[in-house]
Amino acid sequence: MTTSIQPGTDVSERRTILRAAGIGKYFGSVVALHDINLDVYDDEVVGLVGDNGAGKSTLIKILSGNFRPDVGTIQLEGREIRLGSPADARALGIETVYQDLALCENLDSVYNFFIGREIYRRVFGFRLLQHKEMERRTRETLSRFGTHIPSMRDRVEYLSGGERQSVALGRFIRWGDKLVLLDEPTAALGVRETRNALDLIAWTRREKHVSMIFISHNIEHVFHLADRIVVLRNGEVAGVRETRATTPVEIVGLMTGSLLASPERAAVMQEGGGPRLDATD
Amino acid sequence: MEEHGLTDPNALAPAQQPDPVAASMAAAAARRRIILRILDNLVWVILVVVLAVFSITINGFMTTENFINIVYHSVFLGVVAIGTTYVLITGNLDLSIGSVAGFTAVLSAWLAGSSVFASGLHIDPFVVLVIALAVGAAAGFVNGFLVTKLRINAFLVTFATLTVVAGLALMLTQGAGVSGLPDSFRLIDTIRPLGIPLMTYLLVGLYVLFEFILRRTQFGAHLYIIGGNRTAANNFGIRVDAAVLRVFMFSGALAGLTGWLLAARLDGATPTVAVNLLFNAIAAAVIGGVSLEGGAGSLTGVLAGVLLLGSITTALDIVAVDPFTVQVIQGLLVLGAIILDSVKRRYR
Repeated sequence: MTTSIQPGTDVSERRTILRAAGIGKYFGSVVALHDINLDVYDDEVVGLVGDNGAGKSTLIKILSGNFRPDVGTIQLEGREIRLGSPADARALGIETVYQDLALCENLDSVYNFFIGREIYRRVFGFRLLQHKEMERRTRETLSRFGTHIPSMRDRVEYLSGGERQSVALGRFIRWGDKLVLLDEPTAALGVRETRNALDLIAWTRREKHVSMIFISHNIEHVFHLADRIVVLRNGEVAGVRETRATTPVEIVGLMTGSLLASPERAAVMQEGGGPRLDATD
Repeated sequence: MEEHGLTDPNALAPAQQPDPVAASMAAAAARRRIILRILDNLVWVILVVVLAVFSITINGFMTTENFINIVYHSVFLGVVAIGTTYVLITGNLDLSIGSVAGFTAVLSAWLAGSSVFASGLHIDPFVVLVIALAVGAAAGFVNGFLVTKLRINAFLVTFATLTVVAGLALMLTQGAGVSGLPDSFRLIDTIRPLGIPLMTYLLVGLYVLFEFILRRTQFGAHLYIIGGNRTAANNFGIRVDAAVLRVFMFSGALAGLTGWLLAARLDGATPTVAVNLLFNAIAAAVIGGVSLEGGAGSLTGVLAGVLLLGSITTALDIVAVDPFTVQVIQGLLVLGAIILDSVKRRYR
């Protein structure tokens, strides 16, 4: 099944940011992904859901440059790209937020914010860090969403959970220019931090109009953030739904395979008044 | 932007309201921070206390001459400890430094010396220096290559190279010592501006340079990132393997330099001249606050660790404690440093 768009959605004017076509990844005889077709449009949040082992993280790892697909092509804004490493993806404006926040506990907020993208000036062959400039820019980004860390030069291990998370999420707010891959960004967080993260993601989307792929085990979070939901099952696309035209029950059905991925069934489910979650909660 | 009402940056304001729980947590964090700061710089406090105690209790300890002497006698340990620190910061280990220093010491003496077991080639001391650095860097390259490309544990790899290189040193002269270096070779030791040997200035210069690289350059930042979170370093496009390889080569080259300096100081060398260097270098690094888990430590602390070991050795030497007891005391000191390291880790 390819990207099925519900009738009535005018996609003709929407720019395709990312197009993954016929992606396959095989580990020996194990099919991790098979014939995955996925489009992400301009200013769109795509929720990517699926049971454990459905292929979500394999797909994200391919799009973030950690894995290479065995077959298939990836286009970014209409141009075919090859991602040899996470650095390639970053250079093209594809930013990934990892589950564990990818922080270095032993270093301060500034180092963590800039990790791998330090500002330097070349002097006698040395790449001299521009500490003041880096600190200023970190502060600037964090203050954009109301986070103030008293001492930017304290190791992040001394910071509160919310502050640490702000540093990690600040990276994608600053550098996620074209596409942001959110790989279960709330999995390791407490209730309150999860709320903050979701708010922050929603805010970034409105503020920067950046496209995102959001992976979560939590269907409620996906319904809260995503415009469109792509369901993976056993390494294949089991269905694609517009969020406003589907229900959690249908999505879970697609994930587990208890529902045929047909719009007719979906319509029936909705008629039947499947429990719709309140997205504003 | 306007219609979202987000021109005010506080519109979103994720949970920054004051609340008593958060306030008390912040206070606890601040206390923890101060204690950790003290623990991080404890080595300097200990060094000052130890020097004060020695100065009061040992006659003739508190002279400028003696202090300069301590630094002078710390040159070899100091130079290898720089490489050890770099390797440890990336979360690796290099056990081969002692035998690389021993081998390059004998090699240097063999190339330039004139005694029975020398090569008789009478190579120019500066050419010998280049060779010593290159041999050390080559040993480091082998270590780094096996660790990064074949993903073999650094302990095992460098333990093997330790043995191989120590064997090479014995092979070169059939285990004999070589002496009779030309005066030109010994200039690094015999030129003494302000009465202080040139190699002492070299030691200080190397610490300034390598500390500068750690603190102020992108490469230095990447070493801490690699030691702190290797996966994150990879994900954010840092070339981890290249950096680790380079660090092993630094460590080898510094050991090579140490070998050359040993030959210059001793007017020759024996294959076993540097056997204690490995243990003391790791000891100095750990005492100086470098974590064996990687990602933490600075050369400022390591220099204090080097000087602390040197002071204790000198003091015990002055009061004529036998060398066996000295070894026990040094061992206990290292044990103390390791316990301190684990206390710090648990505190975090």
